[in-house]
Amino acid sequence: MQRTMGSSTRRAGDITIVDLVGQIDLGSSPALRKTLLDSLKTTKHMAINLAGVSYIDSSGIASLVEVLRAAQDAKKKLVLFGVGGAVLQVLQLTRLTGVFEILQTEEQVIQA
Amino acid sequence: MDFHLKLVVPSDPRFLSIARTAVSEVSAICGLSEDASQGVILAIDEALANIIRHAYKNRHDQEMELDCQVNAERIVFRLVDQGEAPDPDRICAQPLDDVSLSGRGTHLMKAIMDEMCYEQVSGKNQLRLVKNLPGAKVDAAGDQPTEKGHKRQGS
Repeated sequence: MQRTMGSSTRRAGDITIVDLVGQIDLGSSPALRKTLLDSLKTTKHMAINLAGVSYIDSSGIASLVEVLRAAQDAKKKLVLFGVGGAVLQVLQLTRLTGVFEILQTEEQVIQA
Repeated sequence: MDFHLKLVVPSDPRFLSIARTAVSEVSAICGLSEDASQGVILAIDEALANIIRHAYKNRHDQEMELDCQVNAERIVFRLVDQGEAPDPDRICAQPLDDVSLSGRGTHLMKAIMDEMCYEQVSGKNQLRLVKNLPGAKVDAAGDQPTEKGHKRQGS
């Protein structure tokens, strides 16, 4: 299981996809926030792939919320996909599953 | 099986994964399900993160104690620090009816753990978090025995 957080960015048509892996906690959430906000500046539609994230805490969730707010303020689209396991549990416990647009797969993101 | 585990962890976020790994192993030894174990890991991680951010104001050169006392019925975690005492309003946690960026950690701890209690002990901050184990005995009143033999309402 990857311990440190990693990210990579790619394009699928007009959509910027940010693939995250590893554990997102107090130590790595600032870098996550910066990566996502920087990526959002260059796109109108961003999808965050959380399938490779094995752990996320409230600071990681706060980073996602902040990016969501930035997207909404700029009238840009943000979706999450690959949400399962520990990530889904935290989103459910913090009652944020209804705040984000969450899709199952990358195919759904592209077709949406 | 009763056992005791104690870690002294630097107040540096880089060391949170070590604490999570230890809690993960303790949870597995105690027979918690995968979901329950993930919850306990999250709760303890949130508590340690709160110590770093609030008690120690993001100083990374301080110490945090993570103490795990296990018996057949429960895991008792004690997190001890020598930083600033917490704001009682923060301990109460934020309502989650808005998308606020703070207070979710405390909310998570309260939602996941069966007991949560803060007190000052010998001038140090001590947060006690308890997770009942599967099959823990609960009497007819719904109370569960504490370590000292006093009854406390289960959650």
